[in-house]
Amino acid sequence: MATSQSSGSSPVTPTTSAVQIQNLHYSFGSGDLTKQVLFDINLTLPRGQIVIMTGPSGSGKTTLLTLIGALRTVHAGSLQVLGQEVVGLSRRKLVSVRRNIGFIFQAHNLFESLTAAQNVEMAVELKGQFGTKRSQAVEILDKLGLSDRVDYKPGSLSGGQKQRVAIARALVNHPLLILADEPTAALDKKSGRDVVTLMQKLAKEENHTILMVTHDNRILDVADRIINLVDGRLESDENLDTFVSTHDPKSLDRRMFIM
Amino acid sequence: MKRTPLALLNLLHEKTRLIVAIAGVGFAVLLIFMNLGFQGALLATTVTFYEQLDADIFLTSPESLEISSTKAFPRVRLAQIAGVEGIERTMPLYMEYLLWRNPETRISRAMFVFGINPQDPVFGMPEVQTPAAQQALEAPNTVLIDRLSREEFGPQTVDLETEAGRRRVIIGGQYSLGGGFAADGTLIMSDQNFIRFFAPRPFSQINLGLIQVKAGANIEAIATTLRRLLPADVRVMTRREMIQNDLQFWLQTTAIGFIFSLGVIVSFIVGTVIVYQILYTDIRDHMKEYATLKAMGYSGRYLFGIVLQEAVILAVAGFVPGWVVAVGLYRLTREATNLPMIMTVNRLVLVFTLTLIMCSLSGLISVRRAVTADPAEVF
Ligand SMILES: Nc1ncnc2c1ncn2[C@@H]1O[C@H](COP(=O)(O)OP(=O)(O)O)[C@@H](O)[C@H]1O
Ligand SMILES: [Mg+2]
Repeated sequence: MATSQSSGSSPVTPTTSAVQIQNLHYSFGSGDLTKQVLFDINLTLPRGQIVIMTGPSGSGKTTLLTLIGALRTVHAGSLQVLGQEVVGLSRRKLVSVRRNIGFIFQAHNLFESLTAAQNVEMAVELKGQFGTKRSQAVEILDKLGLSDRVDYKPGSLSGGQKQRVAIARALVNHPLLILADEPTAALDKKSGRDVVTLMQKLAKEENHTILMVTHDNRILDVADRIINLVDGRLESDENLDTFVSTHDPKSLDRRMFIM
Repeated sequence: MKRTPLALLNLLHEKTRLIVAIAGVGFAVLLIFMNLGFQGALLATTVTFYEQLDADIFLTSPESLEISSTKAFPRVRLAQIAGVEGIERTMPLYMEYLLWRNPETRISRAMFVFGINPQDPVFGMPEVQTPAAQQALEAPNTVLIDRLSREEFGPQTVDLETEAGRRRVIIGGQYSLGGGFAADGTLIMSDQNFIRFFAPRPFSQINLGLIQVKAGANIEAIATTLRRLLPADVRVMTRREMIQNDLQFWLQTTAIGFIFSLGVIVSFIVGTVIVYQILYTDIRDHMKEYATLKAMGYSGRYLFGIVLQEAVILAVAGFVPGWVVAVGLYRLTREATNLPMIMTVNRLVLVFTLTLIMCSLSGLISVRRAVTADPAEVF
């Protein structure tokens, strides 16, 4: 963590990758009801990269995210997260892998009974840092522009503010890997943009790796790389410039929303 | 700094739900206290009653059920054993119900009557042993009346005259005994008066034989001797056996003990269901957040702890008001019925333990849902 944090804004060639996936297959159900959702996924996410995953609805994006996040047990192929092989891990071991990952969901999932700071502190407590939890929470909320909302409960925050608290909770422990599933879907255009820009800024500061699923083509520019998942298969994997030059906005829209 | 008290904050956040939960637990606690209170009072009156009867061994008819429902047996049985080694004194006790007319309202009501030989130290109450009380007992148609009788029997002024069993009766004095569950009020009169009031009942049939043994004598051994000597129309019981017999009668043979035990069980179940409902709703409403905690790296054990903490908080928060109201109702009951409803430390501990079990049980039933929260489902 120390090395990744010390590397400044200029990208450093990572020695180990944050995520390394080989020949990953995944199915839901069993027996006759088995439904394969992911087919032969091969993907490497170097440290510090911001990757956006697009693809039509039902193509398996969320499923892939939950596998990388060690939220499901996997049996086939190889899936290394932050240097740890996840395939075949017990549920209890999966829990400890999760502690190094920051999750951002479409819904904020904050406790209504806790203030913004307390919601963030819940994450710090996982590290056992009870003494500094308040200052850490305040610091990250401040970075997300919520210094005057620290002691507000979610009930009196706007949608964008709530999502920023959720991001603060995901980032406060400086996770090496951040997984976000449509984090801007519930937000209006401006707050969505703000939230993503903040995520990008913090990730670059600390050399975090981000894998973000989004349908929102207005925020594609924060990505270093865009991958496209169609029917459970990785269709294209390109850097932003190629992606933009090969996808005129109309066809981009069609690929992402109509398929 | 400590852990964020999530359980407490979750409960406090939903004020209405919290109040309903506390009221529910409090109500269950109150019901349990009242049922145990009545049951305890029943047992206590049975015991205090015997505490005032100065005898070590009792003779009763085998057909007697408890003190207020006895069958008479021949008085001669007492004479037969009077000479047995170790026996100090034998005393007959006559008992019947008598309709006592309230001199003010002129409404009659059943009073429980003890007939004794005025010379015999049957009762331990000091008021019965004063020369004035002795003199009153010797006088015809004169009785001593129990101060703890229900108010419906009317005034108890000494020398007051009223009617009992169609006879003129004079109040000659007062004492404190209490009739418990069996009687609303009690009277003590001489055996001579007893025969008059309950004519044609013969002098030779008694309801209870009281035996005092000499100091230092072996009560069990004497009782064994008496059982050998006496025919089957009397039963010999030590004081402990007698009390045990009456307790058993009230608790097991009559519906009273059953009703109170059932009351405790039903209250317990009602409380469990209420707490389960509250905890279940709480978990259901926080499912996404709990799943998120799991995704962040919290274990199922942590969530288990949160639900159990909520259960314990509800237990404590509901116990206190339930207990306070119970203390008030105990006092009201004491004043209205003279039943010895007393909040003992033992009962306090027992009910608190029951409340904790009640809430934890609900917690354990509802916790499964929280622990199985699937973090993969929140994406
Ligand atoms: N828990 C589940 N059980 C069975 N099938 C599921 C489950 N979750 C998702 N699926 C199926 O897997 C496929 C991929 O879903 P998902 O990963 O949510 O796609 P996306 O996020 O790209 O819209 C869909 O066909 C969906 O119906
Ligand atoms: Mg999805």
